[in-house]
Amino acid sequence: MLRKLFVVLGAVAMVSQAGLVMAANPDTGPGCGLGKLAWADYKNQKNIAPQAFMALTNATFMNTFAISSGTSGCTNDGQVMADQKTTMFALLNFENLTQEMAQGKGEHLASLAALMGIPDEQHPAFFALTQERYSDLVQAGETSSVALVKTLNDAVSRSPVLAQVVSR
Amino acid sequence: MPGLRSLTGALFSSLRSIVHILSLLLAGLFLATSVAAEDAPAPYLTQLLQQARQARLADAREWHLLLHYRANLFGGYTSEQDDPGFFLAPDGKTNPEVELDATLRQFFSPDLVGRSKQPAQCAFVARYAWLKERLNVDPSQLPPMPCERFERWIDEFHARSVTLVFPSAFMNNPASMFGHTFLRIDQEGQTAQTRLLAYTINFAADVPPDEGLAYPVRGIFGGYRGQFSTVPYYLKVQEYRDIENRDIWEYRLNFNEQQIRRLLMHAWELRHASFDYFFFKENCSYHLLSLLEYADPSLHLTERFRFWTVPADTVRVLAAEPGLVNEIAFRPSRVTLIRRKREHLSDMEQGLVKRLVRDGSIIESEDVRGLPLSRQAVVLDIASDYALYISERDEAQVAISRERNRQILTARSLLRIPSEDLKILPFAMQPELGHKTSRVSVGGGWRNNDTYEEVSLRTAYHDLLDPEPGYTPGAQIELGSISLRHYNRADQTRVERATLANVLSLSPMDSLFHAPSWKLNMGMQTITHGGCELCSNWHVNGGIGAATETHLLRHEVLFVFAEVEGNYSRAYEERHRVGGGASAGFYADLTERWRMLASTTYLRYALGDKSDDVRWSVAQRYTVAQNLALRMEYNHRDHDNDVLFTVQAFF
Repeated sequence: MLRKLFVVLGAVAMVSQAGLVMAANPDTGPGCGLGKLAWADYKNQKNIAPQAFMALTNATFMNTFAISSGTSGCTNDGQVMADQKTTMFALLNFENLTQEMAQGKGEHLASLAALMGIPDEQHPAFFALTQERYSDLVQAGETSSVALVKTLNDAVSRSPVLAQVVSR
Repeated sequence: MPGLRSLTGALFSSLRSIVHILSLLLAGLFLATSVAAEDAPAPYLTQLLQQARQARLADAREWHLLLHYRANLFGGYTSEQDDPGFFLAPDGKTNPEVELDATLRQFFSPDLVGRSKQPAQCAFVARYAWLKERLNVDPSQLPPMPCERFERWIDEFHARSVTLVFPSAFMNNPASMFGHTFLRIDQEGQTAQTRLLAYTINFAADVPPDEGLAYPVRGIFGGYRGQFSTVPYYLKVQEYRDIENRDIWEYRLNFNEQQIRRLLMHAWELRHASFDYFFFKENCSYHLLSLLEYADPSLHLTERFRFWTVPADTVRVLAAEPGLVNEIAFRPSRVTLIRRKREHLSDMEQGLVKRLVRDGSIIESEDVRGLPLSRQAVVLDIASDYALYISERDEAQVAISRERNRQILTARSLLRIPSEDLKILPFAMQPELGHKTSRVSVGGGWRNNDTYEEVSLRTAYHDLLDPEPGYTPGAQIELGSISLRHYNRADQTRVERATLANVLSLSPMDSLFHAPSWKLNMGMQTITHGGCELCSNWHVNGGIGAATETHLLRHEVLFVFAEVEGNYSRAYEERHRVGGGASAGFYADLTERWRMLASTTYLRYALGDKSDDVRWSVAQRYTVAQNLALRMEYNHRDHDNDVLFTVQAFF
């Protein structure tokens, strides 16, 4: 159920994003336009992976990720795009992120902190914050990754330690 | 009114035809001038063409790398690239010289070319950069065009270094031992914790879903298009580490800034092109090698793979290049993570992990709460990993194990302490430490009352007795092997054994992991049966079973199988027999280099030639060097007793 929700959310995020970029350029960049099909695709792959031949030959269903499909559109132009990067990352790594929030550390969480512009030396404080706010964050994340990132940003800006170091 | 309308209608239509004629005339004029322009090329172009010819640039290795030309068997060249949009001359695929001329000519034009619809200078940035440098192009006579799309694309990588990534085999699927490779473009300012954010460059076949039986056929004969893509590394990690449970090896390559730029420029050109994908040779790894070759033309990589490209072999080749690999990192799969972390638990705590995933109310029990905080954290962390593992593995359990994971993590977050850093060691060493994939064996021995000499060749890949470093423990896959024997007393030379495929997967079961073991074997061997000595016998054998491991000496794996078998031989009545039975056995590492494998099988054939078969064998291997081993095998089968000594070399 949750997965389906993410697929839909991802699709919405991607369409709006693709629209933004497409207007300027019909085919941009390395394409991180993955939100739409990522989950559905993986489910498929998981079922197929055990088949010996599939594994033997390394074909993956990359067609859905293909740049030519036109779903791509993720450049690194300014703040707006950076924000989308964070949302996208939060969306596609939700399970790993929530696990690491509860555990108070981890590379997904560190990567999210990096995307949010939190300097390395403040990561432990950020990790502790996410652990403390775990339930709120998961609840927000189950609504949407946008809500998750917003809740996180609010928490950071209210934290006496972190608010100072994050320029916004 | 209708009259007026028809009048204006007629007027309009005649006006339209006049406009039409006019526009045709104009187009004709245009065409004429453009033809005239082609007839008399810019003097500077003529000069560049001449220069290129004098310098024999069309014969240069770099030009061939850029266009992916390979020498044909009978002279001439053909490009491996299969997208017409990749070439600027109509016969560019087979003619390096004409293609080079057309490329230079096109560099003067802002016309959009290729599938990416850009001016040639931008669509083929690597070709442009190389020719510009080699011909010392005067920018005032051939002005460089702005390539915003490319510049934005390449900046987005924030490239600092390049890493080759190798996901190793996944559990219980020996076929995946062939592995996969892709590149990761590491970012400026990236730390070990933020590697996930880097982009990858991945080459894969574009396979429509639900291909079914057409899949192997099309795959082998190049029926799919292979394309490059650039996916963030975190998605690849999810795919291989979390979903498929494959350990990942990362090899940082020692490329300088300029080489990385060359690599990315060429990757940009290839983004919009496609190669026919051949599973065995022109596969994911092969085209990555060609990309690396262009980045550093002093590397000669693709030419080492003439018939097939095994991804693990490409890792070996790269690791053997002096100074190319400067850092190797290991990223454990979820299963490896659980199995390693579990080693730190007491029996009671291990039991808790299992109960936690089954029943959420255990979290508040005295068994958990009575533990010190740090122990509670370890137990809950492993339980969460295990819940995620179940949710990826078992379709029916997804919802419930996710819910359980939430409960576990909520409790975990309330402990308010960070998890300890545990060093997770791999169970299998990295692939370049393993033996090479093809094997030749020479030896001799006794069979019944005769002596013989034997030569064997196996094209691929690994069996249970081969030296294990670099390979997944308990996984075997042999493809295409043949053994020739000369019997001295019978004075007969014959094909003693042949294997089409022999796959075996032993997955030790324990309290958390319950994957079955399985095997499949197709081939022929020599038997004595019903008065026929030295008779060829074809077999198909499949089995399903269970395995368990112990650490009494060093490492032992015990296994049992229920199996079915079909035989075909002229030694049988009705030339065939079909039956079933069971087998049991074990392998044990006696020292680091010495392994023993013993097994016994009983099969009863109810169809065709009604008979039964008792087999047992004891075999030992001693590893002399990475690519050299000694074996001694004793095989008993029905009426045959066979002792064989061999020296085996991997190449």
